[in-house]
Amino acid sequence: MGLISIRSLTKRYPGGVTALDGLTVEIEPGIVGLVGSNGAGKSTLLKVLLGLVDATDGTATVFDLDVRTHGTDIRQYVGYMPEHDCLPPDASATDVVSHLALMSGLPRVAARERTAEVLRHVGLYEERYRAIGGYSTGMKQRVKLAQALVHDPRLLLLDEPTNGLDPAGRDEMLELVRRTGTEFGIAVIVASHLLGEIERVCDFLVAIEGGRLLRAAPLGSFTEQTGTLAVELEEGSDGLAARLTASGLEAIADGRFVLIAIADERPYDIVRDAVADLGLPLVRIEQRRHKLEDLFRDEPGAVAGAGTAGPLAGVGEPPG
Amino acid sequence: MTAPFSATSPTGSIFDLGYRGYEGPRLGRAHAIRSLFSHSLRSAYGIGRGGRAKIAPVIFGGMAVIPAIAIVGILTLAARFGEGANEAISGQSPIRYETYFSTISTVVVLFCAAQAPELFGRDQRHGVISLYFARALRRTDYALARVTGFMAALLILELLPQAILFAGRALVSDDLLSAIRRDLPSIPPILIHGALSAALLGGLSMAVSAFTPRRAYATAGIIALFVIPGIVAGVVAGLGSTSIGTWLILTSPTSVLDGTNAVLFGSAFPSDFFFIDLPDWAYFAAALAGIVGAVAVTIRRFMKISA
Repeated sequence: MGLISIRSLTKRYPGGVTALDGLTVEIEPGIVGLVGSNGAGKSTLLKVLLGLVDATDGTATVFDLDVRTHGTDIRQYVGYMPEHDCLPPDASATDVVSHLALMSGLPRVAARERTAEVLRHVGLYEERYRAIGGYSTGMKQRVKLAQALVHDPRLLLLDEPTNGLDPAGRDEMLELVRRTGTEFGIAVIVASHLLGEIERVCDFLVAIEGGRLLRAAPLGSFTEQTGTLAVELEEGSDGLAARLTASGLEAIADGRFVLIAIADERPYDIVRDAVADLGLPLVRIEQRRHKLEDLFRDEPGAVAGAGTAGPLAGVGEPPG
Repeated sequence: MTAPFSATSPTGSIFDLGYRGYEGPRLGRAHAIRSLFSHSLRSAYGIGRGGRAKIAPVIFGGMAVIPAIAIVGILTLAARFGEGANEAISGQSPIRYETYFSTISTVVVLFCAAQAPELFGRDQRHGVISLYFARALRRTDYALARVTGFMAALLILELLPQAILFAGRALVSDDLLSAIRRDLPSIPPILIHGALSAALLGGLSMAVSAFTPRRAYATAGIIALFVIPGIVAGVVAGLGSTSIGTWLILTSPTSVLDGTNAVLFGSAFPSDFFFIDLPDWAYFAAALAGIVGAVAVTIRRFMKISA
């Protein structure tokens, strides 16, 4: 049985915006990353799958049920974490989550038990009895995840779950997502524009742009050799760049950094030897992922053809 | 998973039992609708919410029952002077079954203006509505459960004081059974009018609050809807166009309810519009049209709202 089957799905909003444009893709259980730049149609796709938004054309099925006609049946088994704020500030996490469990069809006693369990799972303890208005962004994101999990869904749809979180919060949220997918056997779709985050938890990626499918493939084939190697030096970056270019690498100096396109394993050794030979004060070497939107904007085929993207497309971008 | 007890572990360990699935029943859409109905009913009285949410319902609820409690207290005192005094006071009292609805109609309107925006406004203001629509409910289910929940809250507000009045009149009487028998014919009009009133005022105020996440706008809109049509009708009538003014009164929800009340109890029309002489059915038609229209507008709103 396919988890999700999408055929020629099109969604045009009134006013002429086309969010989905003939999208066709099959999604199997697992942790699936749905990547694309802002406005690529990720959120709209999730909403169509939930039956929150009606497609203009095409079909979509979840658990082999048509999203148009079996919305309530599907949603009983689907958890949804929206991108935007969706929690009333004057209620406690316990009240909100247990109420929403009832709305998913759980009996009252079960709703209360599951609420306690799922809030503990996301790491909310004593604070769960306090009003949500006083929560930090990280705690609110946890409550949003908890309400999506409370009815033990078979499929979890997460829309930018790390939005607004600090680095530590992002790590924790991603770890929760990973555990939910791998340990509990719940199929997860994570929509994000940050490839660097998504590749840490997903085993399959679906990339969309302009409402069209760019590529759907296992994670490995996406991220290999799409990066840039950044070498940070105290000084002498121009000299290193010249030396590496002479060795046949694509390298440019950018302030204290030298950025090198990595198409294979070869540059690592060359860089190491060059830095040692020149006796340069090396600070660090790091692999940079491009922000996905940059890849897509420059060359839509970039993800598919490994290393053919402008290798230094990420110049000046912070590490993804 | 934490290891179970071992010889070295201190007492009082916390065990991470891990995530457990849910194998129990899933009661689906009907259960979700029922739960949202009762949640709306409770929320209208601030039950299950913070202390501040209870202030308005407690004040207005108190104001609605005070006349009933007061008259029962007076009847209790009068009972010391014998059945005759009691009957005399009951007959003279301005607070009777047939006058109660208009006595507390202002309180009911204020309750609507204060509490209806709580139900729809909060969900829209904070984006909770997407979480509802992502569950085992349809948009229509959500709208209907909220609206009928609020109507039920209003029904309680309208009928509780009548029940107090009924019980009080029966208990202070010398002969309980004959007192109940005496008041029994009043029960059908009380119930019918209570239901009409709760459905019309509740439906209209929920329809207004469905259209704005802003509480203040909704409150102002509800009060305007309940007050302005009556004023317009009065002005038109005052300018000399009595017949148009008379029919315009049907756009004023509280006046329509005064009309149905008068018809049901066979009493006089209690408003300032003494000149009104509309056919009986007109009030009921106006009330039903208002209820159906309000519910339809509300459902349409939630069919279209983006989530």
